[in-house]
Amino acid sequence: MERRGIEKIIKEAMSVGRKTLAEPEAKEILRLSTINVPESRIVKDVTGAIEAAQELGYPVVLKIISPDIPHKSDVGGVALNIRSAAEVEEHWSQMIYSIAENNPVAMIEGFIVEKMAEKGVEVIIGLIRDKQFGPVVMFGTGGVAVELMKDVSFRLAPVTRQEAFEMMGEVKGYPLLTGFRGTHIKDLGAVAETIVKLSVLFDKMEDIKEFEINPLIVYEQGAIAVDARAILE
Amino acid sequence: MGTNKNLDFFFNPGSVAIVGASERPGKISRIILESLAKTGFKGSIYPVNPKYDTVAGLKCYPSLSVIGEAIDVAVLALPAENVPEALMGCAGIAKGAIIVSGGFAEVGGKGKELEKAVREISKKEGIRVIGPNCMGIYDAISRLDTFFIPPERIQRPKAGGLSIISQSGSFAITAMDELAAEGIGVARVVSYGNKSDVNEADCLDFLADDEATKAVAIYIESVEEGRKFVEAASRCCAKKPVMAIKVGKAGAGITAAGSHTGAIAGRYEVYRAAFKKAGIIELGGYEEFTVACKAFGMQNEAKGNRVMIITDGGGMGVGIADACFELGLEVPPLTEELKKGLKPMFPPYFSVSNPIDLTGSATDEWYADALEKTMAGDNYDMAIVAALWGPPALTDRLPDMLARKRGFGNKPVIICSPGGVFSRSKLELFRKAGLPVFSSPEAAVRAAAVLAKGAKAKRGRS
Repeated sequence: MERRGIEKIIKEAMSVGRKTLAEPEAKEILRLSTINVPESRIVKDVTGAIEAAQELGYPVVLKIISPDIPHKSDVGGVALNIRSAAEVEEHWSQMIYSIAENNPVAMIEGFIVEKMAEKGVEVIIGLIRDKQFGPVVMFGTGGVAVELMKDVSFRLAPVTRQEAFEMMGEVKGYPLLTGFRGTHIKDLGAVAETIVKLSVLFDKMEDIKEFEINPLIVYEQGAIAVDARAILE
Repeated sequence: MGTNKNLDFFFNPGSVAIVGASERPGKISRIILESLAKTGFKGSIYPVNPKYDTVAGLKCYPSLSVIGEAIDVAVLALPAENVPEALMGCAGIAKGAIIVSGGFAEVGGKGKELEKAVREISKKEGIRVIGPNCMGIYDAISRLDTFFIPPERIQRPKAGGLSIISQSGSFAITAMDELAAEGIGVARVVSYGNKSDVNEADCLDFLADDEATKAVAIYIESVEEGRKFVEAASRCCAKKPVMAIKVGKAGAGITAAGSHTGAIAGRYEVYRAAFKKAGIIELGGYEEFTVACKAFGMQNEAKGNRVMIITDGGGMGVGIADACFELGLEVPPLTEELKKGLKPMFPPYFSVSNPIDLTGSATDEWYADALEKTMAGDNYDMAIVAALWGPPALTDRLPDMLARKRGFGNKPVIICSPGGVFSRSKLELFRKAGLPVFSSPEAAVRAAAVLAKGAKAKRGRS
């Protein structure tokens, strides 16, 4: 973990009075904590987006960067599986239109163009601070429906690798990771490592109030954090 | 906070002063004095009240300082507004005070200020304080009893290995009364109320090292110093089983909706996470609390989750096996070796398996033999014996024969004995034999599951 780099990101955001970290910042923290994130570029406009997409290689994902939009996909702020320059243009204008309609006062800081992660099993890892018990880590399945399904487990952070495995074993969706209806077992070790690393990071960085990876996509080998958000004290 | 880190003096006091002792029957202080006399408290008892020369036949002192001796515990049974002054009077004389009076933070307003004063005096003068707004201590070992409900109303349990710590006084006395009725003994029972000084973590610290305490049950409404609690509980769990009920489960997410995690994480989830971290066995409600107290009050924790079921009613046996499955307990079949050993003991038409059905021909000896044969060795961690009293050959000797546990000393045996008037008249025999007895398969299996959870919680920590 590159503690100084992480602290710098947090301090800079706090120094301008921000209460949240934008997705690229949250992911940079993950990268500095040696948690796998997709390769990405930050761009200002559609020309930049097309250039970045060509550099990264299709398919790509286009996402809005705005401090005013906590859940991007709810307002049309995420476009997946873009396969050509024409599609970049098309999705870019759709996104601008949709945001203007759903959230007209949202300040748009730019766009992320990111290499599209392959399909896998999606899990969520989140951390919060409790007034009495301090840092708490959550693991769950269910992607965007996580709040509905509540298929989650909790531990006080930081956790050991063994506790991380226990957390996974406690959710109903666990068989999705161990092989379900003909799929192969996923990289449980990579998930456990991510839980442990994030819980240790969170325990040390007291200025972060909440941190969440949603989703972490898990493969037969490895896992990748395709979206992350952080809330500051 | 007071200066004495070790709370031992609260539980084994050489001397107790009752400040505000009253001659009037029915007064709290009077009930406490009578309890101390009746339960056989061995230390010195000093009533303190300038209004009387004697109280309940004991010499009464105008103030603590006149006693001329250091006091271990001063019990303050006074109107709330007189408590701060009385606590000041303990300075330099009493190591600790139990404030049973109510009218403090729980009523708000002026009560909050009085409690603040209590906290400050406790800290400044180095007096450890239990309460206010509590029942204090019932200690079946030292016979200290500040629980001010007469024993005719709330029976006191005999001496045993289970200790209970409870934020709520009414919960503590109700549990005590039930345990007494079940013949279960306790070591220390603490009702700590508003915890102006001594809180659950302090109690756990004491109980961890207390040799009289073999298992701990906790009733929690809220914990303020979360990490201190987890630390103390972890230390205690490493030495003995600790179980807890947390009430007030409902409650909104911790944060408004900053993240999904914040929206999902309620207060109870965090408590549950804390229990897991420490290795505390989580109890779902009052019923499970009493079941668990019965189980741990009479039996050791199980080393694993493999259950042997012995019955004389086939249907009851299957019902118990089902309930085991639902609560995550295993009912492994008998090994070939065990079968070979058991077959010659019974008539040839018996199907010997798990559950073992001893049928209507069951005898006391068959029960004892089946239990001892199957529980010796390492095939099972505990046994549930569902003794239905129909078979005519069964006698009152059965409970004692099951309790002798020849050849498998430490493994728990749980009795399931449902039925009507005749069966109920036999429950007492099991209790006297020291076996926890339940009137339904579900309750018996829940007890087994709690005994097995201790082992799981411990494994989780190592």
